This record gives sequence, structure tokens and C-alpha cells, in this order.
Amino acid sequence: MSVTGSRRLLSVVAFIAVSLAAGSVQAQTRAETLRYVTGASVNTLDPNIPGSTREAFAVSLSTYDRLVSFGRKQLNGKWVFDLGKITGELAESYDVSPDGLKMTFRLRKDAKFQDGTPVTAEDVKWSLDRVVTAPVLGKAQLLTGSMTSADQFKVIDPLTIEVTLPKPDKLALPNLATVYPIIFNSKVAKAHATADDPWALAWLKENTAGSGAYKIETFKPGEQVIMARNEAWNRGTTDKSAFFKRVIVQSVPEPATRANLVERGDADLVIDLQASDVQSLEAKGKLKVISTPQYNSVTFVSMNNQIPPFDNVNVRRAIAFALPYDDMFKAALFGRGSPLFGATWADGKPSSGTYPIPQPVKLDLEKAKEYLKAAGMPDGFSTTFSFNVGQASTAEPMAALVKESLAKIGIKVDIQKLPDAQMSTQINEKKLPFFTEGIVAWLPSTDYFYRNFYTGNQRWNYSSINNPELVEIAQKARFEPDAAKYEEDGIKLNAIHFSEIPQIPLWQPSQDAVMASSVEGYTYQFHRQVDYRDLNRK
Amino acid sequence: MQAIGATMIRAGRRFLSSLPALFGVLVFTFLLMRVLPGDPAVFFASGPNAGQEEIEVIRKQMGLNKPVPEQLMLYLYDVGSGNLGRSMMTGQLVAKDLRERLPASLELTLTALLIALLSAVPLGVLAALRPGSIIDHGVRFFCALGVCVPTFVSGLLLIYVFYYLLGLAPDPTGRVDIFASLPPRQTGFLLIDFLLAGDFDGWWAAFRQLILPALSMALFVVAPLARITRASMLVSLGSDFVRTARSVGLPWWRVVVTYALRNAILPVITIAGIVFSTMLGANVLVEKVFSWPGVASYALDALLSSDYAPVQGFVLLMATVFVIVNLMVDILYGIADPRVTIG
Repeated sequence: MSVTGSRRLLSVVAFIAVSLAAGSVQAQTRAETLRYVTGASVNTLDPNIPGSTREAFAVSLSTYDRLVSFGRKQLNGKWVFDLGKITGELAESYDVSPDGLKMTFRLRKDAKFQDGTPVTAEDVKWSLDRVVTAPVLGKAQLLTGSMTSADQFKVIDPLTIEVTLPKPDKLALPNLATVYPIIFNSKVAKAHATADDPWALAWLKENTAGSGAYKIETFKPGEQVIMARNEAWNRGTTDKSAFFKRVIVQSVPEPATRANLVERGDADLVIDLQASDVQSLEAKGKLKVISTPQYNSVTFVSMNNQIPPFDNVNVRRAIAFALPYDDMFKAALFGRGSPLFGATWADGKPSSGTYPIPQPVKLDLEKAKEYLKAAGMPDGFSTTFSFNVGQASTAEPMAALVKESLAKIGIKVDIQKLPDAQMSTQINEKKLPFFTEGIVAWLPSTDYFYRNFYTGNQRWNYSSINNPELVEIAQKARFEPDAAKYEEDGIKLNAIHFSEIPQIPLWQPSQDAVMASSVEGYTYQFHRQVDYRDLNRK
Repeated sequence: MQAIGATMIRAGRRFLSSLPALFGVLVFTFLLMRVLPGDPAVFFASGPNAGQEEIEVIRKQMGLNKPVPEQLMLYLYDVGSGNLGRSMMTGQLVAKDLRERLPASLELTLTALLIALLSAVPLGVLAALRPGSIIDHGVRFFCALGVCVPTFVSGLLLIYVFYYLLGLAPDPTGRVDIFASLPPRQTGFLLIDFLLAGDFDGWWAAFRQLILPALSMALFVVAPLARITRASMLVSLGSDFVRTARSVGLPWWRVVVTYALRNAILPVITIAGIVFSTMLGANVLVEKVFSWPGVASYALDALLSSDYAPVQGFVLLMATVFVIVNLMVDILYGIADPRVTIG
């Protein structure tokens, strides 16, 4: 063997060694990277911008901190956010005064923004002022927690901030844990503010100035966001930084492709698959599937209580007993979710004061016909049933079943499939007589649901119901400090809801999170997205 | 040399003469978008708790609070100064979005067209050489198959077989492996940019990513190209000059390629031009299936959410591309048949 020969051998060995090493380095980075695929896209880095998507919320909560965040609890063996447990995020501790009018937050001394400067009470004040003053989405949200003016936020010392409330409000503190009141680095933000844009809305839309667990590496709206871990962040569950070194949030519009990607192991986590795909992936058993009923959301069939014939309560009752609930649940969701029909209420009284609760309705065509007769329309009538294109995969089979079933009691239904923008316009103008929609409340308390979705002449009052008694109880319940009385109010509200039947709650769809079996820590969050900080790989 | 200069001048004049048409397209799309039902402001204010106030803010942002004629004048002024407005969906300037996404669409469409031409022209020629034979029927069958399977079906099938079952293709999302680093942007065409950067691994990755979507698009357009090649080859093969060429004893390939095909290629160029323009707009399904960050899927998303500015920008872009493609077809005509000049 000549010298050149052995040298060649050596170089071959070296080459193999190097490529193996390169391979393992790559494998390691892959293990420390979370690849999350979704059908929607991130369109802004500031969740306050009107038009921001839900995906944007998840990214913002990873790049920014709030004063406080929700704890988590187990619900039927699955982790979900806990509305009743508020823990500090930037706040080391907080106090609520005995009269409920003052909340004092003491900031962590070691909290730093991503540029290394400490987080101060001034920054918190600026950020909270911004939410209640600038034309942003947070304004309407914080209103539900009685925070409306910048005067309510006061800096006590560099690490203490005080929030004053006009009335004790149960939702004030939880509101500070939603996605809007994130804390900005006010010095950086102010440097990019202009006379026209004093709150730096334009700049913060495409840049971040936060103290969160991740930094933005690349942001391509509509395609992908890549985030890198902020090593200095120590506000994780055990005072550690987040687990994943990199998080890739990628838009993959085709649901079948998302399913393929996660099944092949190229993606780690996906939450918005089609129900049929989830079912088959679950059956194969290779992946972890965590299905959590979205306990803060409701899918319903709504009727416009101001338009004939739906202004007649007997017509609404007739419809409630003419819907083929079981078939709809199977056709639309493959039974994935928790049904809100088919309950039996002892003595006809609501079983609890929480919202939503299963309603005592089931398919009963005889009863439906009686109600139609009572409404003076024994021969039925014609109407349209609308749903939006974005929900077609679940709403289309449902609509067909509604049409078929209502035809049996003489109600002729035309199915209307509307583009999303058109549907929202018509809902806003209160023009749709009969349609299906879904609602979500970030802060799922009974009075919040009733105030937002069943009162006032506003868009979210889908059924346009106007019931003075309901309005009064809902407003009163908001400030009710006594838990037992609050429960009583809830039962009253639920009773009114059932006797009026402004709309028919159908079910709470499941959030199906499909992930590689190595991914752990998934928690169902109020914004129905993934909090990347919760996750790790074992 | 002089001829090229003259051609360029004529081409420039032709382009200028199509400006009124582009202007018409601009105004028409603008009005069309406003006539469509659905209020974009309401749609974009659909977050939790967004009320009337938020709707008004968005309406103002989108400039929808002004009367339509005023909106049109403002829009024309903006377009004149190179500003196509801002997309509500992505939050970016439309011109920037389109500039970033157009190369992706062009790269995909051009590759698909190249694949289609390279397979369709030989197929058409073969079919024409033996009309009525088994080859002819085979080509016809293949064309029928290609045209009757919608692109998203062939796309999903290709993904299923080559990615999901065999694991040969890379994961069908985007233009390059998500973990790979991109070359510095020079042209926006990844295949070119990777070459310029001297990154051959990157080039290979981008190329592999491109094959499946390009194939599913190419399948769809092979049929018109092959059929037109066959038809015009038949005419050209039956003509006097081919008979003469044959009778003087020229080799058969020379007769077929130089005499018949060169004369038969004109209609193929025309069809290729049209096919290219339609593909660029119509490949929305392929772009969706393969998460390709192109302009067509961008425009569709915008249309579904009544996001006016991107749709208008897209239509204007397509009209411009159409004008340019037609111009290039005419120039190619001149090369294929020197008797034709553009004027």
C-alpha cells in the first residue's frame, strides 16, 4: 500500500467522520426546534392591530410578557388554562385591595427587555396607556374589565404600578392576562413614534420591543415566522428559559398536507386539521393527539329575533326541536367535541349557573309541529340558512341536515354559503334570519358571555335579542362579589335563555392538537392557539 | 444589429400603445371590487370585542370612508407614484408583497412550461408522424388524462406517492427546505440565486422542491401544446416544401426538424404564450397545495377576505405580464419566421 493510498483512506475516513458529525449537529438542532404548521398566517407582530389573526396572538405572547398570566389546571385529564388562577409574569407579586378598587403590581427586579434594559413601571404604564388610548383592539377588551382611561394607571416607584378601578370588577385582573396588554419597551417604541402615530403602531407592527421568551428571527407575513430563544428570559414554569431553541411557525394552507407533514415527522405540532384526518391519525396511534373541548367557545344556530317569523318564540322552539342534533354532531365534527343538547333538567330548571350548559332539547318532530301550530304557522314557511365559506367543512354537512329535517315539518330552507367578508357584513347589519356561527370568550364567565353575546344592539348579539330582564341580571352579576348569589344569577340567565331560545347552542368543538409523541406540555389556551413556551421535548 | 435595435424600438412602441388597456383594467378592477358584496372593514374587525369603533378605524385605514370617485382618484395617483396600497392581510405594502412573491410564481410557471414544452412538442411530432397509429392514440390518451385531472388532484396525488409513501420528495411546503438558509436575494429566482452564491447543495434542495409542483402544473398544459403541435405538424408535413425536401433525398430528421417543425412551431409559440399567462394566474391551486409563496394564492386569499388593494395590484400585475408575454411571443415569431415583423 502506497503513501497516497493510505492518505486517500485517511481522507475518506475523515470525510465520513465529518459528515456524521455534521449530521448529528443537524439532528440536534432539529430536536431543539419546534416546527408548528398552521392553515392561517401571522400578519402582525403587535396583536393590537385591527385585523390581527389568532396566529399572531400566539407569536406575540412568546415575544412579549404581560404583567400576569393564567395558571393551568386539569380538565378531564387534559391541561387547560385556569381563569381562576392568575400568576405573575412580569409581576413578582400583586395585591388587590380589600374593597377591590386597587390592584398593585410589584415587578420582578431581574426582568429585562431583549435589548438588555430593565423593565420598569414606566414601561408598564406606557403600554397600558397605549391599550386604552390608541385605536387598537385592546381598548374594547379592557373595557370589559373596567379599564378605560390612562388615569387609572399610576407609577408608584420604578418597580411598582397601581391600577385603580371605578368599581370592583372580577374581570379586571384576568383582562391583564389577555393578549392585548403586553408590555412594550417604551423607550424603543417612543423612538419610533411619529406625530401622526404617537403609539408607534406602524413600527411595532413589523418589529418587536419586548421582554418575552423568544426573539423574532424572520417574519414573512403569510408564510412563516421564525423565532429564536431569548436565553435571558427566566419566567418559565421553573424560572427557566423556554425549552425550544427555535420555533418555526409556518403557514401550510392545505389541511391534507399539514396532516402528512406531522405524520411523516417533518412537523412537530398542528392544531387545525380536519376532523377526519385527526380521527385517522389517532387510529394509527403513532402520534400524540390531545383533544380538548374548547370550553370557552360555543357553536350555535342563531335566529334573528327581530325578523319574522323568528320574532315568534314558538317558531324558535319549533326549530329547536326539529334539528337532527346527533347526525349534525357526527357529520360536522365526527363527534369530536362536547354536545350541548340532549340534557334533562330536573323540574325544568337549569342544572347550573355556568355558561354554556347542555340544553334540554332533542330531535322531536311532533313537538316541533305543535310549536309551529302554536305559532300560527302549521304549514311552515320559507327561509334561508347561511354559513361562511371559512367554516364550510363543518357547516356544509350540517346545513344539508338542517334543510332535510326542517322540510319534514314544512319549513323550506335555502342554503346560503357566503364568503367570510360578506357573512360578517350581513351579521353586522343584522340581515341574516337564520345561520350558524361560533363564539369564543377569552374570559369565560357567565356574565361575560351574556353581556357580550345577548345584549345591546351590537354585532356580537347575533340573535338581536332584547330582553330587559336578561340585561339587568347580566349587568348586576358582573359586580356581584358573592359566589352563591352569582351562581343564582347564572341559573336565572340560563333559564331566560332557554325559555326565549334566541339561539340554539349545539356543541363545543374540540381543539385537536396533533403532535410528535416526543412533544410534551401542551396546554389549551384561552386564545385557542399554542403557547410555545409551554412545550418541551422529552 | 440594426434589426435588433429596430425590433426593440418597435417593441417599446407596442408596449406604450398597450398602456390605455392597462389603465382600463386598473379602473375596471377598482370599480369591480367596490361592487362586490361584503364590507372588508367589518371582516377585518372580526376579532373578539371589535365593535363599531374598530370598524370605523379600519375603514379609515383602508380609505373606504371617502366617496368612491375620490377613492379612485387617490388610488390612481398612488399607482402613478408606484404605490399599490397596503394589504390588510399581511400588513405589508402590496408592491413589496408582489415583488417578493412574483419570482416564486414565475420560477414555478416557467419550469412547468419548460417541462410541458419538452414533453409536448416531441409527443406532438411523434403523433403527427404516424397519424392514427398506436402512438397517436397513446399521446391522445395521455393528453386527455392530463387535462381532465385537475391540478390540485394531481398535486395531492404526487405528494401522496412521492412524499408520503415513498419519501423521495422533500416535504411539500414552500420553495426550499425550511431548515436551509436562503441565498442572498439577487433575482428572487432561487435556482439562479443559489448558483450565483455558489451553493450547489442549496440549488439541489430548491430544485427538488420545485419538481412536484412544476410537474403537476405541466401535466395540465401538455394537452393543448401537444395537440397544437400535432395539428400544425400534420399541415406542415403535407405541404409542398416538405414533399420537395423529401424528394431531393434529404435525411428524414432534417426534413422533420428543419423544414416541417420550424414551420409548424409558430402556432405552438402562440399557444405557449397564452398558456403561460393563464398558468401564472391559474396556478393558485398548485400554490395552495404546495404552500408555494406565489402571487396567485396571495390574490385568492385577498379576494376571499375582500382585501381590495392586493387584488387590484394582482390584476394589474397580471395584465402587465400578459402584455409583456404577448410582446415576447411576437418577437419569437420574428425569430422563427423572419417574414413576420412586429409593428
